[in-house]
Amino acid sequence: MLLVAVVMFIASGAVSLSRLGDGYEGRRLVAKAFLYAGIILAAGVLLWHSAMRGSFAPLKDNFDALIWLGLLLALFLSYTQRVRPLRGLDWFVMPIIVLLLVSAAVFGRAKPHEYVSSAWSWAHMVTAYGGALALSVAGAVGAMYLIANQRLRHKRTAPLGSLERLEHFTRVSVTLGFSLLTIGLVTGLVRALGSPHGNELGPLWYRSPKVWLAFGAWAVYALVLHAPINPTFRGRRAALLSVVGFILMVGVLIAVQFMPARR
Amino acid sequence: MQRLILLGLNHKTAPLEVRERLAFNAEQCAAALAAFRDRFPEWEAVLLSTCNRVELYVARAPHEREREHELIGFLAGFHALAAAQFEPHVYRKSDLGVVEHLFLVVSSLDSMVLGETQILGQVREAYEAARRVGCAGTVLNPLFQRAIAVGKQVIHQTPLAEGRVSVASVAVDYARRIFERFHDKTVLSIGAGKMATLLLQGFVGLAPGKLLVCNRNVERAEALAARFGGQPVALDDLAQHLVAADIVVTSTGAPHPIVGRTQFETILRQRRYRPIFLIDIAVPRDVEASVAQLENVYLYNLDDLQRVVMQGRLQRRDAVAAARRIVDEQVNEFAAWQRQRELGPSIHRLYRRYHAVAQEELARTLNKLPNVSDSERAHLEDLARRIVNKLLHDPVQVLRRSENAHVPMSQYLHAMEKLFQLEADEHGNGGDGDNGAPVDPSGADPATGKGE
Repeated sequence: MLLVAVVMFIASGAVSLSRLGDGYEGRRLVAKAFLYAGIILAAGVLLWHSAMRGSFAPLKDNFDALIWLGLLLALFLSYTQRVRPLRGLDWFVMPIIVLLLVSAAVFGRAKPHEYVSSAWSWAHMVTAYGGALALSVAGAVGAMYLIANQRLRHKRTAPLGSLERLEHFTRVSVTLGFSLLTIGLVTGLVRALGSPHGNELGPLWYRSPKVWLAFGAWAVYALVLHAPINPTFRGRRAALLSVVGFILMVGVLIAVQFMPARR
Repeated sequence: MQRLILLGLNHKTAPLEVRERLAFNAEQCAAALAAFRDRFPEWEAVLLSTCNRVELYVARAPHEREREHELIGFLAGFHALAAAQFEPHVYRKSDLGVVEHLFLVVSSLDSMVLGETQILGQVREAYEAARRVGCAGTVLNPLFQRAIAVGKQVIHQTPLAEGRVSVASVAVDYARRIFERFHDKTVLSIGAGKMATLLLQGFVGLAPGKLLVCNRNVERAEALAARFGGQPVALDDLAQHLVAADIVVTSTGAPHPIVGRTQFETILRQRRYRPIFLIDIAVPRDVEASVAQLENVYLYNLDDLQRVVMQGRLQRRDAVAAARRIVDEQVNEFAAWQRQRELGPSIHRLYRRYHAVAQEELARTLNKLPNVSDSERAHLEDLARRIVNKLLHDPVQVLRRSENAHVPMSQYLHAMEKLFQLEADEHGNGGDGDNGAPVDPSGADPATGKGE
């Protein structure tokens, strides 16, 4: 079911991209149908997984969390394109959705997190994933800004919405993502250092790549939000930083998956 | 009888850097025409200089040598340029090619913006300027009058000017790609010319928060600002206005850039790096090209907009085809009229001369035949007339078809006048005036060349 959902999302993105040439309205509806089909299938996977696990509480395991992320991104995309469409948003967000679902299929661990019982852990999981969601959007829209800006500077146009809207979108996403990420970092640190089982990251926790990548991503987003004070961090630079931040965040997710917890 | 020559360069053959060096403003245009008249007193000239083209239309006597290099030298000398700087971009046309080109220009079919009507006014102004200086005469007067009529016909009889992709619409489209909202934006126009007016018309449709107009001529700035509900501002405070503005249209006639990179870096800092859309439609340019390299600055000039306009051109093939048909018809009509105008008096003189010769010879013969009756005399007169008509028929037909041949008609005409010694008759016998239809005293139809 998950693979079919992935195929649906890929098909939606491909059909949407094919509208670049002629802007044929019929294909927009087809792309939307594929997107909705993908959403329903991804939700079905979550329900099935929860039923198998015997618990409908979200974010109980890594597989569940990655699919939740992909599903929420798809819902966000569907909502945005319905309420106030931003041309090209699906071309940039869809690969992230597909990446998340493929990651869930390949690397997702169905083993429940041992620690998701405490309030700190819960807060950490929700805010960290929520932040990741918002910052994924910021990264996608930042990439859109970079392309649109580059084309405009070369006296060409791109069907990607106005620079002003893209910048606003990036800023809102980064603001939201940064807030959630900050809470996620603090709660994560408190949870890790104050765990009843001892320091989960080990005595050298401050040398953990996971910590450094997370802090790096946080610092990059702090720079983006620094623009009102230092306006040189607006426009292209802000967009570039949001893309860099997104890459670092992906690094954090990978670190979570593959690096040893203790040092 | 004159020969037409055109030397010019336009947005298709020359980049903006070349065009702006060779451009003439109104004062320079008048001065150049006066200088032309002094240097080539027998010739006629009209100088058309717009943002997209500089064209010199010249009418000269056909027997004179080309002297094209002198015309190039004249243009170069006026601007103190080396001819090599622009000569590779210059196109040359002659005779009917000139007529066709002018009709295409005035119909906007050669314009950067298809269907734009501004070129019609510019051609009219160029022609009027030449008339005022005394550079337009018996050849260029009818040519330009006809051209203006063709321009009007294309505007009124084809959809070319409807829904056109103009510089203004392209600029507005780019503005929409940079900005999302306009109610909080300031549009600034530096200059109050026609192009600025057209662009402001487009931007006013976006309902910007504020519209500022600054111009050297304060009255014009006030008039333009009043027209669009804007606010006239002083040109002296330009830097301050640039800090406030989000969209800037600049179209002054300044010979050098009025906004430099160093100055703009300071302005950008003061703007806190807010994006700014600069549309520099001035030729020569008002904004240094290097300003475009600055972050959050989107600088477009006329050539940049051309690409988009060209795409619009492809979408309007039918309108173009209709306009092209009008131009082709008008070129043919003008050519026929011109041929008639040039041929008529010469053919008239040719027939008159040879019928007179025939009559002389007939009279001499009749003097030797005293018993010829009136009826026989009439037959003999008829015979003489038919012989002359038949002898002249072939050369006249060759003349009439000569415009389609590789040798221009004017050369045939010139040769005919020499061969048949018609020039001597020109002053003695005269024609029927420039536009008069030739009258064959023999009764032959000079329009067809056929007698009886």
